[in-house]
Amino acid sequence: MAEFSTSTKDVGEVSIIYLRGYLDAHTAPALENTFSNLIEKGKYMTVVNFKELAYISSAGLGVFMAFIEKMRENNGDIKLSSMNDKVFNIFDLLGFPLLYEIYKTEDEAVNKFIESKNLEK
Amino acid sequence: MHFELSKLKINARFQFFIWTTIILFFFKFFIPSSSSIALLIINEILVGIDAAAFIFFLMDWLHIKKVNPLSLVMNIGILTALIFFFIVFANPVLGELSGATKSTPIKFNLIYNLISFVYSIIILGSVSYIFLAFRELYFLKQKRNVNTYFNTMVVFIVLSSYSTMLQQSSDLLYIKDTFFIISILLIIFNSIKISWIAFIIKKEKKILLFLSIIIAILFVLNLASNSEGSTNHQILMNFSPALAQFLKVNMIYGAIYFSVLFFTTLFHIPTAEAFDRKAQEVSSLQYFSKLITEVFDFDDLVDTISEIASKISSADASWIVWKDNHTLKSIGNKSIGFLDADLITGFIKETKSDLELNGTEFLNLEKFQKKSQLSEPYFFISISPLKMHNETKGFLFTARKNNFVFDDEDKNALDTFSDYASVAIENSHLFEESLVKERLEKELDLAREVQRKILPSKNPDHKDLNISSVFIPAFEVGGDYYDFFEIDKDNFGFVIADVSGKGISAAFIMAEVKGIFESLSKTIRSPKDILIKANEILQRTLDRKSFVSAAYGLIDLENETLKISRAGHCPVLLLRNKTAENMKPSGIGLGLNFTEHFANTLEELKIDLQENDTIVLYTDGITEAKNKQLEDFGNTLFEKILLENCDKSADEISNKVIREVTLFSQNNPQHDDITLVVLKWKQKLKNDGEKEWQNSALQLKM
Repeated sequence: MAEFSTSTKDVGEVSIIYLRGYLDAHTAPALENTFSNLIEKGKYMTVVNFKELAYISSAGLGVFMAFIEKMRENNGDIKLSSMNDKVFNIFDLLGFPLLYEIYKTEDEAVNKFIESKNLEK
Repeated sequence: MHFELSKLKINARFQFFIWTTIILFFFKFFIPSSSSIALLIINEILVGIDAAAFIFFLMDWLHIKKVNPLSLVMNIGILTALIFFFIVFANPVLGELSGATKSTPIKFNLIYNLISFVYSIIILGSVSYIFLAFRELYFLKQKRNVNTYFNTMVVFIVLSSYSTMLQQSSDLLYIKDTFFIISILLIIFNSIKISWIAFIIKKEKKILLFLSIIIAILFVLNLASNSEGSTNHQILMNFSPALAQFLKVNMIYGAIYFSVLFFTTLFHIPTAEAFDRKAQEVSSLQYFSKLITEVFDFDDLVDTISEIASKISSADASWIVWKDNHTLKSIGNKSIGFLDADLITGFIKETKSDLELNGTEFLNLEKFQKKSQLSEPYFFISISPLKMHNETKGFLFTARKNNFVFDDEDKNALDTFSDYASVAIENSHLFEESLVKERLEKELDLAREVQRKILPSKNPDHKDLNISSVFIPAFEVGGDYYDFFEIDKDNFGFVIADVSGKGISAAFIMAEVKGIFESLSKTIRSPKDILIKANEILQRTLDRKSFVSAAYGLIDLENETLKISRAGHCPVLLLRNKTAENMKPSGIGLGLNFTEHFANTLEELKIDLQENDTIVLYTDGITEAKNKQLEDFGNTLFEKILLENCDKSADEISNKVIREVTLFSQNNPQHDDITLVVLKWKQKLKNDGEKEWQNSALQLKM
């Protein structure tokens, strides 16, 4: 089917994962790898940017479930941002907004991390 | 069976030989004089039959034994030696006896006759065997049909033998001489071409060279000592002149044949090695082309390739270097440790940086030999590329410990062989792939079967509800589930769920979900509580990546109310008064959260049902059905079609929706299961105002 790719960028302590294309059962392992790499490097604060993601299937959603606990245990989080309506609808139906922080823009999500970091201090 | 028969035949022939010998014996003893021509002819005929009987017996026997040429030669040698000893010892031992008989007045001396009879029979047997052995050797590995040449010779040898009878009258002596000379000429002609030598290995040729000269000398000695005056000759002439002549002809045949054999072998020796190698190459390639179709285990195949490569290139060691994710790995090592193999591979990589070979190349290792830590000395190596689809996937290495360089013939052999090897390895890969694919397809078949059994086989037939359901599985089973629960006369429950993921794992979760809802619906009367309990139960089995979206509804038939809770599933649609309402109470998917958060966020919606209310349950297989442009079918179109048909029966509505979805997606493959359930409450048809509907289970299979 259609292609899927990820790329990561660091903004301070926060890692941003950009998703592009179709995230389903066949392409999910690519995203799993990206998360595993971040955990290996000890980076637990991540923002996932959905701006260029066209579609996400249930297996794609499962990837976030697999890593969220690990991130939160280490005082990190997975925050989601920049979803189009269609992708948001899928997350919304499943009740993800009740479990994840979803922001309109990437900056909002990053700032949220910085704020909570400052609060700790 | 055939074997048994031929055995019987052989036995019969042997018995025949014994009987003729016995008859011959009595004939000899009671009619000892051979003065009369008639008696002589009878005597010769009896001897001839006896010899023929023995020859036919031996022919069948040899046929079954399938002797090899070298053992035939050995047998001839032994029998010739036997005849030689007989002839040599006949003079001093039997010579006296025969001398004694001459002086005795008694016409026949019993002992002498008995001994000479046995003696003659032994000679007859030996000569018969030798003659037959010649015949076997002659027909060995003959490509052309040479029956005529040999049979002509046999005829003349027989004629020559029998014509000895005529020597008493000197007028007819020329007949005997003519037959004799023709026989000799035919023998020479038939001895010239000995084709079987080429097919024996070098070692055997050396033995043959030695044997043939000795046997040739023995034949000449036998011939020389079997002169007119010798005792042997006298005894045989007395027994049968034809046998004496047959022996003589055979001794000449032997002398000629083995002389020719000696020289032929001598000329064959220098080329023997090359011939051996060619023969081995041919047999290796045959062996290998068989392997291509037979060996489907990659490791076995690699071992065999390595082994054959070693054989055809006369190398001491061989191995294959396989490219595995850009690293080179040595496999199938034959007579070389992987440490040595890796050292040599490393050296090659240094000296030949690109390693792009078009054919077999040879390298001298002498320099490397000195500075490296190879445990065994290797002087020359060959490298052949193993290519698949024009891409070099690996290399076939062979190495020699001795000082013999590889030559062009080795290159040709290895080039051809590495091509075969590449094809075989590729076959092996393809086979493995198809095996995996087959297993996956089997798995999906099983998953579909599980799903089919889990879903209700028919829709409930209910007085107040008109129900229709459609389920279309995707090729990769999706994990959609729906069910109806006729709990009691006042309560009717229904559920729709979608398990994340696909295939067999989704099918198993689905089976579990069915069990959970079936049991919970019996005891709990609140959709919200059912979903909370279901989430708790699923915590034990679901892994972190899996979850289940579900919606549960309960209709109170007496109070005409509907209660709905939704755990992450698509909204439940309510069609009423030409409008579509999305019933979307809050709720997280099952398996996404196991804290009290799940229960806290879960809502339950309650509505009063009105006549003609239509409840539509579906999975995202419908709204996310895609066309060729990868556009979604979408909620808007879905609702539009539902509203256009909301006055129709449940079956008609679901049929219409499925038809539209199919038209929309056209030939674009269906990626997810499609499930649609339509429940119509107390339908009133417009035409006569009577309740009238048909319930039928509609399950489309794709």
